[in-house]
Amino acid sequence: MDSDIEMELESDNDGEFDDDYDYYNTGEDCDVERLDPKRADPEYFEYDCLTVEDIEKLLNELVEKLNTILQITPSLAKVLLLEHQWNNAAVVEKYRQDANALLVTARIKPPTTAADAASASTSAAAAQLLRMGSTGYRTATTLSTSSSTHTTSQQQRRMCPVCASSQPNDKFYSLACGHSFCKDCWTIYFETQIFQGISIQIGCMAQQCNVRVPEDLVLTLVTRPVMRDKYQQFAFKDYVKSHPELRFCPGPNCQIIVQSSEISAKRAICKVCHTGFCFKCGMDYHAPTDCQIIRKWLTKCADDSETANYISAHTKDCPKCHICIEKNGGCNHMQCFNCKHDFCWMCLGDWKTHGSEYYECSRYKDNPNIANESVHVQAREALKKYLHYYERWENHSKSLKLEQQTIDRLRQRINAKVMNGSGTWIDWQYLFNAAALLAKCRYTLQYTYPYAYYMEAGSRKNLFEYQQAQLEAEIENLSWKIERAETTDRAALENQMDIAEKRRTTLLKDFFPIIGKT
Amino acid sequence: MTAPRRLRKELVDLQESSLKSFRDIKADDDNLLRWTGLIVPDNPPYNKGAFRIEINFPAEYPFKPPKISFKTKIYHPNIDEKGQVCLPIISTENWKPATRTDQVVQALIALINDPEPEHPLRAELAEEFLKDKKKFVKNAEDYTRKHSEKRPAD
Repeated sequence: MDSDIEMELESDNDGEFDDDYDYYNTGEDCDVERLDPKRADPEYFEYDCLTVEDIEKLLNELVEKLNTILQITPSLAKVLLLEHQWNNAAVVEKYRQDANALLVTARIKPPTTAADAASASTSAAAAQLLRMGSTGYRTATTLSTSSSTHTTSQQQRRMCPVCASSQPNDKFYSLACGHSFCKDCWTIYFETQIFQGISIQIGCMAQQCNVRVPEDLVLTLVTRPVMRDKYQQFAFKDYVKSHPELRFCPGPNCQIIVQSSEISAKRAICKVCHTGFCFKCGMDYHAPTDCQIIRKWLTKCADDSETANYISAHTKDCPKCHICIEKNGGCNHMQCFNCKHDFCWMCLGDWKTHGSEYYECSRYKDNPNIANESVHVQAREALKKYLHYYERWENHSKSLKLEQQTIDRLRQRINAKVMNGSGTWIDWQYLFNAAALLAKCRYTLQYTYPYAYYMEAGSRKNLFEYQQAQLEAEIENLSWKIERAETTDRAALENQMDIAEKRRTTLLKDFFPIIGKT
Repeated sequence: MTAPRRLRKELVDLQESSLKSFRDIKADDDNLLRWTGLIVPDNPPYNKGAFRIEINFPAEYPFKPPKISFKTKIYHPNIDEKGQVCLPIISTENWKPATRTDQVVQALIALINDPEPEHPLRAELAEEFLKDKKKFVKNAEDYTRKHSEKRPAD
């Protein structure tokens, strides 16, 4: 009996689901968006956080692959890969085209002289050179050393040009350029260079010779473990920096290396130290502004910030009762504790006008008569324009810094509520989500101001500033609702979260320069 | 220590080569790391005088570069009032242990004879050199007459 009922229910349900399915899925547009996160989320970014060991393995695999294709020593393979952004195919391609030119540009071999080119097949010589390895650096005894050699009864000796002492021939080492120096001089030279932080860029000791010293010769001659370690550390740093898909995590003392095949100005967050940064330039993440503009803006702020600080004091007067107010939290919607007047911290206007599309205080209004004014007025206007954007940038930056305080206060408030029996700890967790979302939105909003500052006036700027104003309004709404969670119900708050995030992604989709180019 | 052997050899070689434009080369009696010499330029406006220089070698020589300073005042875009000179061949980044002092001195003489206003140490002189060559030459000649040492007779 029971089972029958269940079966009936199940079949009923099935029928209902079928109906639902047919009814709601006549259009397909919303599904497409959901399936492809790359299109739905303008900040979607695929990356891996790897350890030093992972990267060593990855680089060694590339080196080995090139070894097997070209039959060359690992040390020279590393140099070639370093010079070609670790692109195996590019190295092989260039090798097949002109092995000699490849070795010259990678500074493994000195530029070919006219005589060399005429005499023999230079490519064959180049191939020979690549296969020698560390034993190949010892200067051949048959090498003609007419002037500086003088034969002793036992062994040929010659003069090292660096230490000016006469040494047996087998103590001499040279690179492809043929400049020969004694073992002790090479070793002291390597250690001096390593001490200065130079590793894979160490060059031959001869004046005006730019041939590079490969890793294996350095490691053959330098025996002090401290120096060997240093060399390998510096070389590893250079290898990672030369690889376009790898970035060192900028977090303090963090050893993680972030890898991504998409080289764009997107946010990577280190999984170990949680530092977020722009994958392209390594600075703080800065969407929708691009890497060059944010650098320009930060330089400008570093120059001007003291003046700006001086001009924009940390306190403002209430526009109605003129009592002095210090801003100590995130929201721009202020309520004077004295006269209860609602106003906007940014423009000091009545908050009533900030409800919807009338929210205009994030928009900078150019003085239309500027062309007719004197240079002095133009300069003042330029400063005014900069200060307008700077104040808003700085204001959001300060709000973000106060975020931890806001979260601590939130925690206290939730504790108090749980103690009073209004809901459990879990019931109030959504407030933390809201605070996190608020921080995320505020962060993007902060970085819209440098973008707007460098934008040329026109319809696109109008659209940008409209969207910016909308985002600003929704963020203030959200901030206000979070601070007054007792009087706002959860549904309204979550709805507001959704609206704010939609505004943010819309703005990024329309203006984040790298979207659509990938 | 490599420095003394190499320096002794270089000093002897330089003294024996008897260059016309770099003479009177001596190392301090008690310190092989400090040399002095007299630069005798060929080109106007400096060909009316001679200039005393000092070469200081570090203890790590030749793995670290020597430093050169002028003891005689000179009106030159690439040499400042303290006698410091900016010479790429002896900068830390470019230095090669096999570079010999005579090569360094040749580079210095070339710089004295043909100033490089693109990399000035004294911007105001470089500007004068580029914009008002006549005035620059006159000033430099006056300065040379007033401050420089006598040129050797031969």
